[in-house]
Amino acid sequence: MRRTLLFIIGGIFVGGILHVAVVFLVPYYAGKDAYAAIGDLGADGQFHLLPQADAGKEAMPGLDPHLMEAVCRFDLSGGPIHVHAAMPDDFWSVAVFDTLSRNVYSLTDRAAEGTGLDLALLTSVQMAQARQNPPPWLETSIALELPIDSGFIVLRALVPDDSLLPGVTAALSGAVCSEPLAAG
Amino acid sequence: MRFLIDIIIAVAVAVAVGVGSAWYAVGKGHVFGGVTVGAWTAWPHDGSLDADPYALARLARTGEIPLGAGEGLAFTATDDSDGAPLDGACTYTVSGETPAARLWTLTATDADGHLMANIASRQGITSREVVRTIDGDFSVTVAAAVQPGNWLPIAAAHRFDLVLRLYDTPLATGAQLATLTMPAISKAGCP
Repeated sequence: MRRTLLFIIGGIFVGGILHVAVVFLVPYYAGKDAYAAIGDLGADGQFHLLPQADAGKEAMPGLDPHLMEAVCRFDLSGGPIHVHAAMPDDFWSVAVFDTLSRNVYSLTDRAAEGTGLDLALLTSVQMAQARQNPPPWLETSIALELPIDSGFIVLRALVPDDSLLPGVTAALSGAVCSEPLAAG
Repeated sequence: MRFLIDIIIAVAVAVAVGVGSAWYAVGKGHVFGGVTVGAWTAWPHDGSLDADPYALARLARTGEIPLGAGEGLAFTATDDSDGAPLDGACTYTVSGETPAARLWTLTATDADGHLMANIASRQGITSREVVRTIDGDFSVTVAAAVQPGNWLPIAAAHRFDLVLRLYDTPLATGAQLATLTMPAISKAGCP
């Protein structure tokens, strides 16, 4: 009987290790994460407009119903990319996430100091190459040196009023996610 | 034979304890890193590069996209300021002032975080729409039935949560969170 008790205590200890292992592995095997969900919306490298969230019509969980979002999966292995859009004058924001939904970069229209979105996404290696022989876009775009090769971008814009919905929809639909940038 | 049975017991205990507790911790929602101000709680590290493994596992399970630190910060309330769970049958008043932000939105969701159908077909109220008093404070009535003034419609059914999202706020980039002034949620009445 005492020997069985020892085995149960041993089992509890091994269970503790299993707990840690499961928690660490869930992000890699869940398959329901945002990166996978955006992949289901269509091709990578272009923005997909999410319909404005309403009861029973939520394209992705936890979105603000007062904002409209466009999402895009990107991949930098083929070279740096240009993300640009003519945005409305009101509040908008853009956020870059890695494949595990960790935010690596975000800014709002106020930080962008203009009405347009104009980002250049590069890996560290691509940034080093671009600095050696600076291409013209390095001056004009906000260049982001990312610690990741692939991930997704979320572009959000406020819909202050239903009457302004067509304008916001047009701005987000016109957003370009991964235009290749010449190395210089 | 005895040894084999003991091994099977040990393995069963390990799987039940390990997987069961991991499932519970990840499914329950947030584990670490919450900042509570009054009735409101925010998770500023959610989805940041230094997010803890539980937060990452939760995001992977729900598929939620968190707000980036440069975008804003979301506060959630599941209870009123007295600590009683928010009940769709009651009427609440959300009043006071919000921390500095260029824009805020107040939304009601069900306990699972989904938007609810309501009689006004409106999902929330923003800082642009809200009518304020002369000193800049505001008061929003949260109720299933039509209310005069600032009204946030909800579904009469059951428990609900309130989500206050602050956009373009200096808080998200690390200002002191604990000393914030957040609006109070007081129960105005229950049938």
